[in-house]
Amino acid sequence: MKKFLALLLAMVMTLALVACGGNDQKDPAPSTPDPAPSTTPADDNKTPEPEPAPAEPTGASEITLWTYPIGDWGTEATVKTLTDAFTAETGIAVKVEYLAYADGDDKVNTAITAKSTPDLIMEGPERLVANWGANGKMVDLKDMFDDTDLAEINAVNEGVMKSCTHTNGAIYEYPLVMTAHCMAVNVNAFKEAGADKYLHLDTHTWTTQEFIDAVAALYAHYNDTVGAVFCAGQGGDQGTRALVNNMYGGTFTNAEHTAYTWDDPLNVKALEQLKSMDGIEFDASLAGGDEIAKFYQGALKMAFCWNIAQQLSPNGKGEETGAEKTVTGDDIAFMSFPSEDGNSKLQGGIWGFGIFDNGDQARIDAAKEFIKFFCDSAHTVDAVKAARYFAVRSTAEGTDLSAIWADEPIMAEYTKLMPFLGDYYQITTGWAGARTAWWNMLQAVGTGDDVAAAVAAGVAEANAAAAG
Amino acid sequence: MAKQQQSKMSRALQRRENVAGYLFMLPSLIFFLGFVIIPMFICIITSLTNTNMHDPGMFGSFIGLKNFSDLAKDKVFLKGLTNTFVIVIVSVPTVCAFSLWVSSAIYKLKGPVLSAFRCIFYLPVVTGSVAVTVVWKWMYDNYTGILNSALKSTGILEKGINWLGNEKTALWCIILILFTTSVGQPIVLYVSALGNVDQTLVEAAQVDGATDLQVFWRIKWAQMMPTTLYILVITTINSFQCFALIQLLTAGGPNHATDTVMYYIYYTAFKLTEQAGHFGYANAMGVILAIFIGLLSALQFKLAKEK
Repeated sequence: MKKFLALLLAMVMTLALVACGGNDQKDPAPSTPDPAPSTTPADDNKTPEPEPAPAEPTGASEITLWTYPIGDWGTEATVKTLTDAFTAETGIAVKVEYLAYADGDDKVNTAITAKSTPDLIMEGPERLVANWGANGKMVDLKDMFDDTDLAEINAVNEGVMKSCTHTNGAIYEYPLVMTAHCMAVNVNAFKEAGADKYLHLDTHTWTTQEFIDAVAALYAHYNDTVGAVFCAGQGGDQGTRALVNNMYGGTFTNAEHTAYTWDDPLNVKALEQLKSMDGIEFDASLAGGDEIAKFYQGALKMAFCWNIAQQLSPNGKGEETGAEKTVTGDDIAFMSFPSEDGNSKLQGGIWGFGIFDNGDQARIDAAKEFIKFFCDSAHTVDAVKAARYFAVRSTAEGTDLSAIWADEPIMAEYTKLMPFLGDYYQITTGWAGARTAWWNMLQAVGTGDDVAAAVAAGVAEANAAAAG
Repeated sequence: MAKQQQSKMSRALQRRENVAGYLFMLPSLIFFLGFVIIPMFICIITSLTNTNMHDPGMFGSFIGLKNFSDLAKDKVFLKGLTNTFVIVIVSVPTVCAFSLWVSSAIYKLKGPVLSAFRCIFYLPVVTGSVAVTVVWKWMYDNYTGILNSALKSTGILEKGINWLGNEKTALWCIILILFTTSVGQPIVLYVSALGNVDQTLVEAAQVDGATDLQVFWRIKWAQMMPTTLYILVITTINSFQCFALIQLLTAGGPNHATDTVMYYIYYTAFKLTEQAGHFGYANAMGVILAIFIGLLSALQFKLAKEK
């Protein structure tokens, strides 16, 4: 009896172990989308017409999408509406996973190691092209572009396709939206400190000297830190890079995107200037997201990590205090980064889709169908609006995209910054390592290391990463 | 003849019990082998290879001790190793001393009061490390934290201290949190150990005129030695493996002031850099860490045995 019980127990536990193990088999049946409301209240008495059955997929029945929080592409309710529309038309179900910038890269790296990467991923060229593409993990999307597509994209910005194309000629990102990253100021705080005279709110520009004077005025009024050169991590580092590069016209990389040049004496001058300012703190306890939160709370009077998404929803939720307001109701104005002549070169953000090469042609084809659906069809309007950025192309299969934000005054005002878009250097080889070297360098400067020496060490590290 | 038959039966019985015992152990053994022993061997083997995320194959190419020689020149690793030792050297004695002191003060209290104290000190242990860290992060906040607010409002400071953003204070802030989350278990163990001290020996010593200090040192402390050894070993291992606090609070910064070996292992293996996915290099660090933990634990065992 005892033996029998022992055997039984062992078998049950072994079976449990097997049952708890991973299962690589995909669910053969596609998940059916939730039925959309088919009748309006006035139609209640009518016999509801049967829902159109989802189209039968010709290849893969399900694909997976991992998306970073790019506007509402990081919001489940919005993405579900979009993917349901796709499923209804193609019969291909989409399983979505939402990544955060804090640990999304770790998850993708783990997935690459475990060979369990998603079919689709939504992010920018620095990851899709310069990292995963460069490492041979992505599918070349060149066959998805014809001359019309290229003309439609080049009509908006000629740098977009260049950014999405690897030096080997492969296109690893199909672009959907773009924006210019900028900074923001608390207008009420500036007014209280008498620093609003330095802001040109009609053009959203200011000079380096005006910025320096404004910080001095704010510090004199509040006797506390008013702006943070955040450097706890790489999150939001486009802000600190643009701030340093624009102040005196320094560069981050060379024009060929083959080497890092931020040891430019003009950058050293800017860092020394920032370090000498009482109201500016090199803060290793804040990353970009934390800085936005502190600015929204009113603790900081300016934010260097900003773009139209924050302008529309400063608390990241798009509710409570609403667009262009801090938690206390102060007005927020977006500003270009300060430069000597007021004409700065802003960092761009270009987001789109890439396909991981999982070796299954049917799934790759289904993923391409998804991209075509959202990036080059009548549905592109919805996809762009969900991202809350600007379309990278003028038209998509005949649908005009140039005026989709015409009825949105904040978006329309923000287009004033788009001509300031500078070089998209984030595709330089060794980009991920260079970013790490950048924020480590800022931490070193913040802790009192010699600026020129810290900058030289950081650039050497970045160029070592670029050299492989 | 009867004796021989009895011995045969006894052997059969013994065999049956052995088989049953092994079968009961089997499920745990599978887990232990699959999740402890095999990964341990994989870790040791890959530490001698250039295994990485980008090249195919589980074990990469054999490169001998190159990872270890590279580590000896890696400034970030050496800084992390130094920080790890600082954490261990500071936190292990303070945790032991503090928990012994608290236990001595509370173990004679009445049931409900003693339970209340046990609960209070054990609470940070059972609270999730993320929740604890979030609360501490808020307290340490440079702009709106309660610490800076209190110090500024009482006039002690004119300008707040960037507790986690300053390389002089960041590591000590981490050690303080580690301390609060580490003392709970030792206190509970010491309270129990003090309650189990043989009272007849204590009374005999008191009758012979021993002072309180002598009673504690000669009788109680000696009887609590196995508990102390256990506390020393687990606190040492926990301190060596400090990771979550670093990951959630400082990510090794500022300027590598809070980098630890555990965090650098994770960083090398998984963060998005060109060096990411260098599992061989990361595992070499893991092997070194395991050697240090093993050596220190062995030393503690030896010292406790001599005592």
